[in-house]
Amino acid sequence: MEINRRHFIALLVGGAAGINATPLPWKFTDDIAIWTQNWPWVPVPPTGEFSHVKSVCTLCPGGCGIEVRKVDDRAVKIEGRTDYPVNPGGICPLGMGGLQLLYNESIRFTGPMKRVGPRGSGKFIAITWDEAINTIADRISDLRKQERPEALAAIDGNPTMGTMASMIERLLRAVGSPNYERIPSAEDTYRMTNLVMQGTEGPMAYDLENADYILSFGSGLLEGWGAPGRVINAWGLWQEHTAKRKARVVQIESRASNTASKADQWLAPKPGTEAALALGLAHVIIKEHLHNADFVDAYSFGFNNWASPDGKNHMGYKTMVLNSYSPDQVAEITGLQPKDIVALARDFAGAKAPVATCGKGKGYLNGSLYEFMAVQGLNALVGNINMPGGVLVCDPPPLSPLPEIQKDTIAREGLKKSRLDHAGTRRYPFSKSLIGDFAKTIIKSPKSPVNTLLVFSANPDFTLPDGGAFREALKKVPFIVSFSPYQDETSYMADLILPDHTYLEKMDDVVWPTGLQYPLYGISKPVVKPVYATRNSGDVIMQLAKRIGGSVGSSFPWKKYDDVLKERAKGLFDTQAGLVHYDGSVPAWKRLRDRGSVTPDYKNFDDMWKKIKAGGFWYLPVHAYKNWDRLFKTPTGKFEFFSTRIELAFDDYALLKNMGIAEKGDAACMPHFEPALSGADRSAYPLLMLPYEMINLASGWTPPPPFLNKTIFDNQLRKNESFAEINPKTASKYGLKEGDRVTIKSPQGTVRVCVNLFEGAMPGIVYLPLGFGHTAYDEFSRGKGVNPNDIIHMGKDPLSGHPVWWNTPVQLIKV
Amino acid sequence: MDSPLLPEGVKRCSTTTFLFWTLPWLALLAWGGLSAFLCLWKGLNQTNMSNVFAFALWIVFDLAIIALGAGAFFTGFLTYIIGKGELKNVINAAVIIGFICYSGAMGMLGIDIGQPIRGWFIFWHANIHSMLVEVSFCITCYLMVLGIEFIPLILRNRQLDKIRGLHIFGHSLHEIMAVFAATGTFLSFFHQGSLGGMFGVLYARPFAARDGFYIWPWTFFLFILSAIAAGPCFTILCTKLTEKITRKKLVPDNAIQLLAKISAWLLSIYLVLKIADTLGWIYGVVPRAGLKFIDFYREGPYGIWLVVCEIVIFGIIPAIILLIPKARRHQGWLITACLLNCTGIVLNRFVFIIVTLAIPVMPFDRFWSYLPTWQEWGIAMAVIGYGFLLFSTAYRYLPVFPQERELNPATE
Amino acid sequence: MEQQKGGIYRYGMVIDLDKCTGCGTCMIACAAENNVSVRPDQTDKERTITWMKLYKITNGKEFPHTEVSYFPRPCMHCDEDGRGHHQPSCVSVCVATATKIDHNTGIVSQIYTRCIGCRYCQAACPYGARYFNWWDTYFPKGKGLERYLSPEISPRMRGVVEKCTFCHHRLMRAKTQAYAEDRTDIEEHEYTTACAEACPAQAITFGDLNNPEHKVSQLIKSPYAFRLLERLNTKPKVYYLSTKDWVRKMADNYLPGEFKPVTKVTG
Repeated sequence: MEINRRHFIALLVGGAAGINATPLPWKFTDDIAIWTQNWPWVPVPPTGEFSHVKSVCTLCPGGCGIEVRKVDDRAVKIEGRTDYPVNPGGICPLGMGGLQLLYNESIRFTGPMKRVGPRGSGKFIAITWDEAINTIADRISDLRKQERPEALAAIDGNPTMGTMASMIERLLRAVGSPNYERIPSAEDTYRMTNLVMQGTEGPMAYDLENADYILSFGSGLLEGWGAPGRVINAWGLWQEHTAKRKARVVQIESRASNTASKADQWLAPKPGTEAALALGLAHVIIKEHLHNADFVDAYSFGFNNWASPDGKNHMGYKTMVLNSYSPDQVAEITGLQPKDIVALARDFAGAKAPVATCGKGKGYLNGSLYEFMAVQGLNALVGNINMPGGVLVCDPPPLSPLPEIQKDTIAREGLKKSRLDHAGTRRYPFSKSLIGDFAKTIIKSPKSPVNTLLVFSANPDFTLPDGGAFREALKKVPFIVSFSPYQDETSYMADLILPDHTYLEKMDDVVWPTGLQYPLYGISKPVVKPVYATRNSGDVIMQLAKRIGGSVGSSFPWKKYDDVLKERAKGLFDTQAGLVHYDGSVPAWKRLRDRGSVTPDYKNFDDMWKKIKAGGFWYLPVHAYKNWDRLFKTPTGKFEFFSTRIELAFDDYALLKNMGIAEKGDAACMPHFEPALSGADRSAYPLLMLPYEMINLASGWTPPPPFLNKTIFDNQLRKNESFAEINPKTASKYGLKEGDRVTIKSPQGTVRVCVNLFEGAMPGIVYLPLGFGHTAYDEFSRGKGVNPNDIIHMGKDPLSGHPVWWNTPVQLIKV
Repeated sequence: MDSPLLPEGVKRCSTTTFLFWTLPWLALLAWGGLSAFLCLWKGLNQTNMSNVFAFALWIVFDLAIIALGAGAFFTGFLTYIIGKGELKNVINAAVIIGFICYSGAMGMLGIDIGQPIRGWFIFWHANIHSMLVEVSFCITCYLMVLGIEFIPLILRNRQLDKIRGLHIFGHSLHEIMAVFAATGTFLSFFHQGSLGGMFGVLYARPFAARDGFYIWPWTFFLFILSAIAAGPCFTILCTKLTEKITRKKLVPDNAIQLLAKISAWLLSIYLVLKIADTLGWIYGVVPRAGLKFIDFYREGPYGIWLVVCEIVIFGIIPAIILLIPKARRHQGWLITACLLNCTGIVLNRFVFIIVTLAIPVMPFDRFWSYLPTWQEWGIAMAVIGYGFLLFSTAYRYLPVFPQERELNPATE
Repeated sequence: MEQQKGGIYRYGMVIDLDKCTGCGTCMIACAAENNVSVRPDQTDKERTITWMKLYKITNGKEFPHTEVSYFPRPCMHCDEDGRGHHQPSCVSVCVATATKIDHNTGIVSQIYTRCIGCRYCQAACPYGARYFNWWDTYFPKGKGLERYLSPEISPRMRGVVEKCTFCHHRLMRAKTQAYAEDRTDIEEHEYTTACAEACPAQAITFGDLNNPEHKVSQLIKSPYAFRLLERLNTKPKVYYLSTKDWVRKMADNYLPGEFKPVTKVTG
């Protein structure tokens, strides 16, 4: 049969009709729908056996208890623990996103590496652990051979009281270098405050939960200050509608932060004048005799005018405050209303358990020493030192000291050299480490005095409020070693990477979470097996020391880092007190309030250590209140409004100028107010720039988990541009509207941002969030926004020598 | 070249000219094809739609062309059911326009949904409470009816007509067209209504929410009315445009005038009810939600002018023009009125879709704006290209206008 | 306050806005618990997915009287009337019955594999609680982030709508546990949502509104309790508490004179 066109068409039409008569099209329709429900590119998380691992979060010094849900070997969710004393169930947004740090390969180092590209480019190639450790060991040995061990320096961001910090400092001392630098934080200023006024070495411990009046001098109670899991829980307690007496929170801050907004009262003095306000309150309290005379008369020194043994008359705190800090004078300095100052002072002094807190923002940055002293002075005036609901004076955590460091001649000679930052010298008698001066010394020297720099748990390139000075210093250092598990800005500058485990892969201790009012020792333990070829830096230090050998090696007699932890923990057992179990129905603050006693719930040291490793903590919720007669370890044995330690630190008032103190007389030894001097021409820079912190934006060493981006508002970050908060009145002076692009220029540099008109911003001040502007990490955070640290015009805090970061003069240029 | 395919006794341009004429429309189709490919391949992230503007340009376009395409069912209804004989001269054109509008809308919807391959779940897992299910069922069925209505015309192509079987099939189909016209009317009535109902039932969006009768919000009836008021005008516009382009008279005036007159009355009734509805909304739905009428028009570009435009400029004015016999007989006024009327219905659909979504409901939420991407425009423009292409092809090869030969006697 | 009707259980939530500090932990706990996709750009707030979303509100006053507050907004799990005449606004419009309200628990579900992505539910929801997947879930190869995904919830393909489910899988988990222990009822503490559990200020309480023993049913009796857009008759099962008039007023629309500040507080 001949096949013509007609047949062909008939075949086509018939075929089409025929196929439709079969189940084929229906089956196909169904099948492709099923395909859309199982697209191969949509991940299907494998299921398996569910388990839970209890640990402690070490992303910030707050140390909240966490429970990690696992499916087989994978960690799938972090949750807060209800059986941990710090945080009853809740954790902060950063901690909640922790798994994105553990599992994000593009922000982690998968093993030891050495740099191949130019510094900052992030180009590395993998090497073996042996090669990595040998490289550093050889360098250090060379320096020691050349008899300049002090050319080794370390920067450490680990919590002060933790074992890791002591290991790093130990390594430096064993090698013979005094140049152990720490990332400055409010903890440093707390320590100095306690030292000069109380003579104590313990941490600042606020009994927040039992306070009924919280006067916060800029503390970001809701921005991540202290242990966020604990502080925010305390906030919830203060707000209980059913509470018998609702606590009152007053926030002193120039910007309507979350804390300021949510507080019962918000007062906005000019930034940097908080000390004046505190002294103004003291003026009213003293003048109206609202202070606690029991305490002030019997247990304080320098309140009234006094005469020294040599017959010299000295001005007392009372005279100074009454003379120089009247409500009118303070109003002039702070920009507040005199009547508000008076009312606030009366409220504070009238409360049953008032407490004044200091430490701005998250407390990740240092504070001003005189300001902290002024605030602590308020607590003393109302007699709420070492009283329930006040500031408790605690002993340092009872950890066993590690054995003496072995030092050979080279080490001894090296340690005699002065620190590059002059901390602890007559210039900065109370500071232990001044990283700003450290960087300055490197920059000023023709050849970097630091040959090899080790960086631990820190990202100073990004986090230091120094206008980029540290980055300049890094460029000059010949050899940088980073121990960071993350590909951060500082490790991008490094020549060698010896990546640590992340906090979910290693054992470490969490000693006394920031601000807690009782001693707590936590153990964070591996939640998952190390995902990559990383090593606990504690172990690496020991391996390094052994490789260097000699006295350095014998200074580290342990096999592994865990042994060091255990050895230090013996001190806990020696107290014959403390608990390793926690009953959520009796929170630690209630135990403290009810002044109960505790019977240790462990038999012997091994039992205790086993229980600590299982439960994750040891804590001691008892406190010896008041004890004013034996409490203070100052030269006078009293709480010192007039610090004799400061007086002893300089024999000559002429030295004051060197220390950056403008005050010339007795007031220099007392809390007083000094305006921060920027030295910049204010006519060219008429506005101030103030960085601010947000709890949902990682501003420290920890990289930001991408989840955090979900919580950032689009008037804080839009696409890759971050925003400056500016009061509408200020903005209108510059003709700026919402969303306009603007260049912020300081003597240190410029950044370009968009404008967010915010009524809660103080007129005349430009507010920039801390935590944006990463140049490292991956697409989730790289290149998003600007880092205000880049333009901070860093001043020097009188007496402490730490950076003044709250006083950067700027101008605005509309783009 | 294609002369054997052309209808007998009418004049058509040369094949080359026709091919040139199709070029711009093919270009629009190509643009649309690329857009559709991107949207299907990469997903709807190719558009500027968002969780705020869940419905956007495409839905506005869909609703607009479905409303304008209402000329098909309504003319069919008037021709076959009511028996208005003079409309036989436009019924073919109306059916083709309807077919274009409905098939175009269906095509767009296929791209608009996030999971086109699962589109049939609407029928399989139908939720009888959803107005959109009613719309989907009716539109799908009605598109089939339109196809059936279109078939006899296709079969009257000179070459196809020669095949005896097809001729008889086409003729018989034509004989029972009243049945399909009735079915089409029923289906269209309900989906035009349920398209309106879709918005009226949004009880949590006070801007769109309306009271109503039993399960039907007032918008249900208003959408039907506005569609049958505007549909004939669109049919008029399309035939007038064809006449203009072909430079021929194709439809006798009486048919046009009848459509215009009917449109005028329907539009007038619609406007009365629309005004009543608006007042009922202002004094009922709006204060019940704790709002004032003016609250909806505070932000963004949307002001009271929208209401004025929709009701007065694009409603009352064309209604008046079309009501006056003298005016509607005037070519210019007729076209102006038809244009205004059609714009009015598009604006009405725009307001119910875009403005409803743009106005924040939560007092602390903010106003969002939306601009379509080129991909979105591409799909929308492709429907226009497709319309021109199908209509001009049909005109070229099919006897769309029965009176064409009489009205344009051969001069050669 | 109107008593909840319907089936045996009416799960609901009370969020104390005085306690809420705006930290965003609830948002992250929710995203982490429910395998919500995180794309590199999360500033496109019209398209990012945040089942639990934080709204920042200000009292509009000038410096230094400005106050900021937050509204955490999960899905409100609007209620039905139990007779089929009134359904949550999204449920009644869904073409493919991909979202339903469970008569027994009051939880409004979403079936991703049935959703066709028409987005009509988004148009119907006044709270913006529904999110369309404009992209496939973002877990690029080689990054390894898919390793934290929970097997209890399937990651979503593009083109479907998703929303808060009151962590329904946790209810399933609790039920499984109860059955294993030969119980039919589950205790208050056994079923809570990820956001409520994570909130460091304990601002979120979750439980059965029908059960007078549960804390939520006591909290909603407070004179300071209110719901979002109550006047629209959406019957949300998420309640808020705030002692601040300006915050409460912000939760709904009021004609002049309609808003009644709380003047008398008993208990």
